[in-house]
Amino acid sequence: MFIDRLISQGPTPVLEQELAFTDARQQVLADNIANVDTIGYQQKDLSVDKFQEMLREKVEQQQSAAPGSVDFSDIEQEVENPANGILSHDGNNRSMEQMMTDNAKNALMHNLVVELLRNQYSAMEMALKERVS
Amino acid sequence: MFEILDTGASGLMAQRARLDTIAENIANMNTTHGPNGEKTPFRRRMVLLGAGRPGDLSRPGVHVEKIEEDPSPFIQKFDPGNPDADSTGYVRMPNIDTTKEFVNAIDASRAYEANVTMMETAKSMFNSTLRLLA
Repeated sequence: MFIDRLISQGPTPVLEQELAFTDARQQVLADNIANVDTIGYQQKDLSVDKFQEMLREKVEQQQSAAPGSVDFSDIEQEVENPANGILSHDGNNRSMEQMMTDNAKNALMHNLVVELLRNQYSAMEMALKERVS
Repeated sequence: MFEILDTGASGLMAQRARLDTIAENIANMNTTHGPNGEKTPFRRRMVLLGAGRPGDLSRPGVHVEKIEEDPSPFIQKFDPGNPDADSTGYVRMPNIDTTKEFVNAIDASRAYEANVTMMETAKSMFNSTLRLLA
């Protein structure tokens, strides 16, 4: 219980939700690449804007509520079908460049969030051990 | 934060469209009939690019404005035995010059590589920024 209170304050829950989101998005994007030859396949994506909107609302709630009282885990992820690329004659609207770019952006976001989380946890560890290393 | 990657991707898609059109031109170098059998030779296609990302023209990037046909005249080839020859014995061939197409192809593929290098640079800059934290 005490550990729950510790890790559910500050930026940690935000970062954890963002990490879960980038993981889930990676799966959807990998699905797109795997289906590059599938006839009639529609490109899928998780809506980054909507997710960040919901995250922002939670952060605002967190600022005015007691520490650890705002639950971050009920943010939903919506699957959308982006209208990028040209529709080729097999009904698949893929664009290799767009898929690779989405993957690169997602991977960079993931790396950033992992680094920030690592910093959070090591700061907590420093406080627990009462030693700076 | 990742706008530069989207800009690069739009550049890649535009150069790919150019390369696709060049490939179509080269494939149809000797095409004297239309898709439904009409007796018009193939006209060279050109890709016109415009500024602005496809889907949101105010963001930086490039998009394919249109794919136009080259209005320059057809090449006349003297071949009286050919079933496509007109009354004077000349056959109208597509206005496609292989040399020009290949030079454009080299240009498009170099531009594609330049865009990829740009995106790699952006990624490595971002990763080195992350190392500041660690």
